[in-house]
Amino acid sequence: MKRIGVFVCHCGVNIASKVDVKEVAEYASKLDGVVFAKDYKYMCSDPGGKLIKDSIKEYDLDGVVVASCSPRMHEHTFKNVAEDGGINPFNVEITNIREQCSWAHEDRDEATRKAKILVRASVAKSSLLESLEKSKTPVTHEALVIGAGIAGIQSALDIADDGFKVYLVEKEPTIGGRMAQLDKTFPTLDCSSCILTPKMMEVKNHPNIELMTYSEVTKVEGSVGNYKVKVKKKARYVDLDICNGCFDCTTACRISGHVPDTFNLELGKRSAAYIPFPQAIPLKATIDPDHCLMLRFGKCGDGPLCVKACEPDAIDFTQTDEEVELNVGTIIVATGYDLLNPEKLFEYGYTRSKNVITTLELERLISTSGPTEGDVVLLSSGEKPRSVTFILCAGSRDETKCTWCCRIGCMSVLKHVYLLREKLGVDVEINICYTDIRSFGKGYEEFYRTIRGKGVNFFRGRPSEVRVHPENVTIDIFDTTTNKLFEIGTEMVVLVPALVPRADSEEFSRILGLSRSGDGFLLEAHPKLRPMDTFVNGIFIAGCAQGPKDIADTVAQASGAASRAAAILTKDELENDPLIAWVDPEICVGCGVCVEVCAYSARTLNEVTGIADVDEALCAGCGACISACPSNACTHKNYTKQQLIRMIDEVV
Amino acid sequence: MSITDLTSRAEAQVAERKEINERLQKLQEEVSDFCYQCAKCTSGCEAHKLLELEPHKIVALLKRGLIDEMINSDMIWTCMSCFKCKERCPQKVAPVNILFTLKNLAVASGKQVPGDFTAMLQSAMGIGLIQDIQTVPTRAGETKTREQAGLPPCSKPKDPAKFQQTIMTVAMEKV
Amino acid sequence: MTKYALYPGCLMPTEQYGYEVSMRSTLPLLGVELVDLEGFSCCGEPLKSINQMLTLTLSARNLAICEKEGLDILIPCPMCHLALSETKKILREDPKMKERINSKLAGEGLVYKGTSKLFHVIDLLHDVIGLDAIKEKVVKPLSDLNFATHYGCHLFRPSELGRPVDSENPQKMENILEVLGAKADDYAEKLDCCGGPLLPVHPETSLTKTGQKLQSIQEQGFSGMALSCPWCHKMYDSKQKKAGETVGAKLNVPVLYLTQLIGLAFGVEEDKLALDLNLSPVEKVLEGDQGVGS
Repeated sequence: MKRIGVFVCHCGVNIASKVDVKEVAEYASKLDGVVFAKDYKYMCSDPGGKLIKDSIKEYDLDGVVVASCSPRMHEHTFKNVAEDGGINPFNVEITNIREQCSWAHEDRDEATRKAKILVRASVAKSSLLESLEKSKTPVTHEALVIGAGIAGIQSALDIADDGFKVYLVEKEPTIGGRMAQLDKTFPTLDCSSCILTPKMMEVKNHPNIELMTYSEVTKVEGSVGNYKVKVKKKARYVDLDICNGCFDCTTACRISGHVPDTFNLELGKRSAAYIPFPQAIPLKATIDPDHCLMLRFGKCGDGPLCVKACEPDAIDFTQTDEEVELNVGTIIVATGYDLLNPEKLFEYGYTRSKNVITTLELERLISTSGPTEGDVVLLSSGEKPRSVTFILCAGSRDETKCTWCCRIGCMSVLKHVYLLREKLGVDVEINICYTDIRSFGKGYEEFYRTIRGKGVNFFRGRPSEVRVHPENVTIDIFDTTTNKLFEIGTEMVVLVPALVPRADSEEFSRILGLSRSGDGFLLEAHPKLRPMDTFVNGIFIAGCAQGPKDIADTVAQASGAASRAAAILTKDELENDPLIAWVDPEICVGCGVCVEVCAYSARTLNEVTGIADVDEALCAGCGACISACPSNACTHKNYTKQQLIRMIDEVV
Repeated sequence: MSITDLTSRAEAQVAERKEINERLQKLQEEVSDFCYQCAKCTSGCEAHKLLELEPHKIVALLKRGLIDEMINSDMIWTCMSCFKCKERCPQKVAPVNILFTLKNLAVASGKQVPGDFTAMLQSAMGIGLIQDIQTVPTRAGETKTREQAGLPPCSKPKDPAKFQQTIMTVAMEKV
Repeated sequence: MTKYALYPGCLMPTEQYGYEVSMRSTLPLLGVELVDLEGFSCCGEPLKSINQMLTLTLSARNLAICEKEGLDILIPCPMCHLALSETKKILREDPKMKERINSKLAGEGLVYKGTSKLFHVIDLLHDVIGLDAIKEKVVKPLSDLNFATHYGCHLFRPSELGRPVDSENPQKMENILEVLGAKADDYAEKLDCCGGPLLPVHPETSLTKTGQKLQSIQEQGFSGMALSCPWCHKMYDSKQKKAGETVGAKLNVPVLYLTQLIGLAFGVEEDKLALDLNLSPVEKVLEGDQGVGS
């Protein structure tokens, strides 16, 4: 017979206000097997821990039940305390009388009654708990970073600087991401490329970083410390070792100037053989299979001009997609964001007028590396606009589109005002239709003040629609600062669309086994305390993949994620949680059902013994194999059927 | 424990506000509390340019509980019920339906109903339709009856007495 | 022939005869049999300002009459279509309200169940009959004509209720006009209200609204206006002269029901489309330089 101690926590008033903790402890002390029971104000505190440790010694306990908060909060704390006190930590059972009791019920008597029942069930289970030992797995000291925008770049550099090898996988032909498309950054007006390209160069030159551009992660298996990742390296039709980035093929291409330039958001045209922008890393050509005549029709006039033009002979139309497998200890996901498709905002005229554009498109127009080499012009006429009107929150903070704030819209518009004043002079009329200006970051409010001094018409209100006339565009807006309805006649309208998850984020999250929040962005393990962690051990998130944020926050989170990842990489081995599946070799018939249902590839059929093995490092203890096993050979350690049935018996 | 409008000395009408919100919920509408005053409704309001209706202000006054101010105002009767405000509200608030509810309250509290509404109601109660069958002019300056236009008889309630009874009982009821 | 119960509403059967005549002349050519039922009343939407319970009850009452015959319903008036659609939604999602309304209907021996499907002329033509079937019947294409379409606000808003056409970019009437051989360019004021609902309270303002849109259409050089709402037609056609006086403009915009235009393209005789009842200068479309007859 086990000697069990029961410890009932008040959690200040969180539990004690709705549950009579003294009565629960008194009740517990009379249960079978319980030799000691006590309540205490904060069981998780040092004195609380001491109480448990001392009691273990004094009463020679070999089982501990703590009735407190959710095991998600303090199970670890109490297991450590028990271990310090000299008993195997797996003999600790947590009864959740806070989230599932005091916080869930109004009636004190009923809540107390429920707490007693829950404690009774835990005590019953506790008497059947087994001591377990943690096995260990070696750690692969290499990391994978997915996405090479500013977030992925920062994470990769940090990990590489810590001395670990990093694979940096990017789906585009170049690294740089969204930040490479920006002209200046707020609020300091740093040139985006000027601060980004040195980091891109660093990535290129870092001995610990292996760059894999134009590549996509297609499969992830394994668990923390040992992930097996499949990466598809898309055929580039250019030999990276030979290409010298001279741009000769891009100028020679037969359909030069006819392919929509995706880097410039299709505002300009490029060739089928292309390098996205002059500072691209790697500075290597790529041949666009959707447009290249050779790749589409097997024929390009009397022979592909790019091949003729390429002096080092780097073009290779026989290339095919290649799959490589990586072994890494940890993964950082930094896949970024998309803009809400402005066609979904039909009332704002994006599809009806060429002169209605998005902020990102304006960014390309402003940039000297953009399609107009930095001339801000109307797309309808090529003329400079005499007036520009911004519409903020286009689809953001909107229950019918995107419920969230994009967090960068207000500041990006203020920045654009500054740049437009520089480009178009003091005479251009600038109007901003805003709902609230959110300038919360360091130096942001000061920047807002600077822009207020730049002769801008701020309208506090939101237009209902943009009217497209043959000659111009008009916007009716009720301005709540003057309480008047104005008609703004304007030449250019810039929409500030909501930030949305990447189009492929659903499929991608499935590959990695990550959860997404209601908005579709990747879900962090805890919004405050574990913002870079996911619910999958060893996979971290950084940047806008987790939710909209500006560059400063992105870089901070990226470094945070890198340091979380490094904490794993520095270890030689990781302890495995022993709360996993176990197979009774006497019962198992080797039918293989468990192998099929296991989402973690932890179950394999042992060809020698003929029974199904459990890989202790891979098993996540999800229980899928246990419910699937037709012969009842699988059990979950310390969640055995016998234990659970005993608990149920006590409750009902 | 009180909120007073110092211009009119009006106090927030908490109970009335609650009643309106309950009515809106019964009609499956979002309550006004979610409005953050972006005024997108007023920017697009068909009635604003001509009659100065400010739907966002109607929502704000409701949030503040200044119900009588609205019920006693002719403003609520200027809505064209074009539904642009409801269609485009980023918070799914429907000023147009708040206005319907306010007008209903005004009628219920015995306020003078402006314009031809009374005539329409009386006609509907009498013959089931908001107006009787007309003889209409032709472009040539003549007139035509429904029959002359070659149309079959107009559908109307079969038993006017029973129909009136239905309408009379409903006309007194709240949502 | 597919049978539909015709729910006429108030305005069409009491004064907008052109709509009803042209509909009765054209829809049977496309395989639609309109069934006239007895006992209908107002849908209640015009009385919504007085009492919303009245609207729910009256709408449910009319729906119940159609359900008795087991027929889907054709509702030519967008306002009626809105009232009936909204009532259907509220009563579907609120069983208590349904019970309450049914207790009111019991006096006339009616029960609302919610079994009928609702159609407006536009979605019946576009989605059920289909553009191909319409195109087949065209014998006199409306060539060289460019119409400003006007659907009626209630036909596309609020989209939450599920309306027959898209709330921000309605194109079904445009598509139909196109197969009739005409054009229907978009214009900035397309989604604006005719001002009709304001007529009972602020007639002058209501007509200003009407006049403003007509004026803009006239300035943009459209051949005419194509409509699918009896209220809007009353404003733009019947009251065009007055609306012009209100905004101080000489208006002469031909205003026609879509069903009248379909009839013309199908070669239906003019008197079977009641074109003599349009008070706006429709002869410009019928006989003018770019007219259908030429």
